[in-house]
Amino acid sequence: MKRRSVLITGATGAVGSELLRRLAQRPVSVNALVRRGDDRQAEITSILSGVPLAADLAVVAGDICAGPAMGLVPEAVASLTRHTTHIVHCGGSTSFSLPLGEARRVNVEGTRNVLEFARSCPLLESAAFFSTVYVSGRRSGTFAESDEGDGGFGFVNTYEQSKAEMEALVRAAMTELPILLLRLSTVVGDSRTGAVRGFNAVHQAIRLLYNGLAPMIPGDPGERVDIVSSDFVADAALHLIDNHPAGGVFHLATGAEASTLDDLIGSTVDSLLQFRPAWRKRSIERPLLVDLDTYELFVRSVEETGNDVLRSATRSIRTFAYQLAHPKLFETRKTFAALGGSGITPRPPLDFYPRVVKYCLESNWGMQQC
Amino acid sequence: MSLTETSVEMPKRRALTESPLVRGQSRSTSAGIAALAEYLPPRVATLSELAAEGLLSGSAETLASFGFGSVHLAGEESNLEMAVAAVEKLFVENDIDRDEIGLVLYATALSSSSTMWNAGSPRTTKVSPDSGAGSSPGKGSRLEPVLELNEVADLFRYPATQLQSELDLPNAAVIGINQLGCASIFAALRVARAMILAEDDLISVLCVSADKFPPSHKRDLIYNVVSDGACAALVRRGAARNRIVECSHVTKGALWDAGSLENEILAAYFPTAKSVIDRTLEKAGLTIDDIALVIPHNVSLRSWEILGRLIGCPPERVYTDNIRRVGHTVASDTLLNLRLAEESGRIKRGDLLLLFTFGYGLNWACMVVEH
Repeated sequence: MKRRSVLITGATGAVGSELLRRLAQRPVSVNALVRRGDDRQAEITSILSGVPLAADLAVVAGDICAGPAMGLVPEAVASLTRHTTHIVHCGGSTSFSLPLGEARRVNVEGTRNVLEFARSCPLLESAAFFSTVYVSGRRSGTFAESDEGDGGFGFVNTYEQSKAEMEALVRAAMTELPILLLRLSTVVGDSRTGAVRGFNAVHQAIRLLYNGLAPMIPGDPGERVDIVSSDFVADAALHLIDNHPAGGVFHLATGAEASTLDDLIGSTVDSLLQFRPAWRKRSIERPLLVDLDTYELFVRSVEETGNDVLRSATRSIRTFAYQLAHPKLFETRKTFAALGGSGITPRPPLDFYPRVVKYCLESNWGMQQC
Repeated sequence: MSLTETSVEMPKRRALTESPLVRGQSRSTSAGIAALAEYLPPRVATLSELAAEGLLSGSAETLASFGFGSVHLAGEESNLEMAVAAVEKLFVENDIDRDEIGLVLYATALSSSSTMWNAGSPRTTKVSPDSGAGSSPGKGSRLEPVLELNEVADLFRYPATQLQSELDLPNAAVIGINQLGCASIFAALRVARAMILAEDDLISVLCVSADKFPPSHKRDLIYNVVSDGACAALVRRGAARNRIVECSHVTKGALWDAGSLENEILAAYFPTAKSVIDRTLEKAGLTIDDIALVIPHNVSLRSWEILGRLIGCPPERVYTDNIRRVGHTVASDTLLNLRLAEESGRIKRGDLLLLFTFGYGLNWACMVVEH
């Protein structure tokens, strides 16, 4: 039986690093494509710290944006093409504030190059492409695994749009390649330790609340906010890659069991009080949940005042907060059915979310070693 | 300019709707704001004039877009002189017997107002047959501000007691209320009501507020434009007019340092304001729909647009008419607006009014009154 050979992109990211730690414990070949020029070797070493290595692991310097050869030297391209059986494409930009052209360059053109590479791999058994449930954009209501894109409602940020465009490419390739399209909910951290590798908008919102700079958020208290743990996403993704080579679209989300926005904010406040008791002295109020018009009026006022700190705070919230004005439920029926019997299920968010808040506090949002 | 020279047009007397209760009369369990008066310095400056004088740090256009137009600027008159002018107007217009006043609460917002720094003449208090307590100093008697601390006695000169002297209120004890920023007058009203209800022999409390901004300082403060002015209110036992129904006051000491915590203060404003208003209404057993008119402090119109939305109050039920014309008179806004709302006919007897203010320190205060 031929040995599995996995090419993984984005191995230093929030999800990629979890996948790498798991793949490294398997008797497979793993080629981690990291961006040339960055000191990613040290980062890979850090990610694999404490992991019992069973894989043949190689770190390959390249760039998914540098054409179909992905910036690899010809010998490396030839070797990878010849041996790769699985592609796990986590690479890309998760920034919400990139100009659309830059977001497209990384998320669309980068994916186009990975697809082109995939087409050249004769032994390819499976190619997993990571996307986001927020390709749904400004849609409201139930978003099923079979649904595509924003449905004409538009997008909240360039990340969503570029990922939706990326999905269109991937979907088109599904007829010729064994592709899994894995749409992730918002990954907030490890459910057991709370550890966060990639700090994102949720963590930024926690930080603004902690600093008393988040007076209001658009949204309805009862709407559901879908968050998932990085370990669930990694376990579920590998299970699907292992067991569903025929491919398909899956939602790695909490779905109907997602917490309400009100509960999530309440849990944030409770956690800050529990893990940083002195925070109580600051008497910071819970952010108000307001309608979109009120929020926009507030944002406009902040913009007009020219106050840099508040402007920066509202801008960082705006990049995702408008999503809260378009509540939706991410259907997970197909995914949960595919995971049936594996024991892999998303944990109730409020069971582990406090640990994530604690990690944010203790690491000072990644600035300090925990 | 001496205290007697404060140029105030002599107000016309008008009859109060209630007479003061006298000792021995059955004790009422309520108190209300029986009479109101204000003093605004005659000099008015527009935003462009303030900008031309270098008295704005931000853009006049932005401040105009926030609803400001002009402010009143004190000239030579001190904050204490403005206070006296407001009270004299109150007395004359409402035919108030000075002897009914058992307590003066002198509420000031600026630190300088609660010292003699801006109080005007620190006159020698020697009482001679020709210059009894409460008489005004002669022309030229004004001295320089006394906050020089050349002698220990400088630490014990207080504008609140000088006010009592100037107003000739021998039956009134005096308490200074300060360190609450623009919320100081609300604290005075709250204390007045509580003391009237607690002490059988206290019938009427005079609440006075006056602040004069340091003349050379920029007039825009966290996107509001500051005006000089004073207000006076008579809180009287059993007064049916402006009966104080309920009040709330929240202090967030963590945000005491206005200079270095401006961002946090701005961010805290709306959630806390909504919380204080909701709490006051709840304590009163009311909803915002029961309120005929919100009497605001004169801060940015935009901020009232936002706060109105947050508390579910449409703009037409927030009395913002004076923001553009008067600006933010520090602690005097809300009572000034209450008086002007009365005069304008916007409110009628029995209307429930919600008064709100916010002050550095950091304080949010809210009151429901039945007009």
